[in-house]
Amino acid sequence: MEAERRDPVEATLPRLDLQLLTTTLDPLACLAAWQRQLVDLPGGLPAAEAHFIGRVRGVSGQGLPLEALELEHYPAMAERRLQELAMVTAQGAAAVLVRHRIGQLRPGDAIVLVAVAADRRGPAQRCGQALLEGLKHEVPFWKREWVNGVGTWVEGNTPL
Amino acid sequence: MRKPGDGGTNAEAAATVRVLLFAGLRERTGWGERPWPHSAGLTPHQIWSQLSDPAPAHSVRVAINHSFASFDTPLNPNDELAFLPPISGG
Repeated sequence: MEAERRDPVEATLPRLDLQLLTTTLDPLACLAAWQRQLVDLPGGLPAAEAHFIGRVRGVSGQGLPLEALELEHYPAMAERRLQELAMVTAQGAAAVLVRHRIGQLRPGDAIVLVAVAADRRGPAQRCGQALLEGLKHEVPFWKREWVNGVGTWVEGNTPL
Repeated sequence: MRKPGDGGTNAEAAATVRVLLFAGLRERTGWGERPWPHSAGLTPHQIWSQLSDPAPAHSVRVAINHSFASFDTPLNPNDELAFLPPISGG
């Protein structure tokens, strides 16, 4: 069977699969679907993958039981910044997967999934780390914690 | 003088900047989007100084047409200007 011809420039660019989700994020199902799509990369499935799944904590920043977490975003800019961030950080990677929730979440729900496939563990892990930190600081998302029916906007991020 | 968001003639409405506020900034200020009259040399800093939000400017970032910008970037008519409180994604 003749292999699909790919543009040589396109073949060297990382494959980006980036989405904001308003519905439940099932990270393992997303990963499985993504991996099935990677087999047609030049050279087949990359040798290294780095994955990160972030979930909603059960307690607020003040240590109180959390009822819900709300994720607001700036439409258009969030998608644009995510794309720019992925293009910059994915140098040396073969493929990048990002899923980020918006809307209302419950404790234990997955907020974010970042996965990077590369030929080596170094670029896979470095890209994953850079993407995650970029998501926390450079893409316009805002969290609001709900405790006892009162919402409080979270300003800033938890330490590494 | 016409205040932001008061409407106006079609000619005046064309010479505006679309100002957006998000999250806690929107709730403290009481609005999320307003047209703002454009004038030559208008900057985000000038608009920020007329808002009633008590947050210090250094805790807020500015985006013009979906790209980060500085508070002293000159604005053009029909620009979209957003004031962004501290980001907390991921």
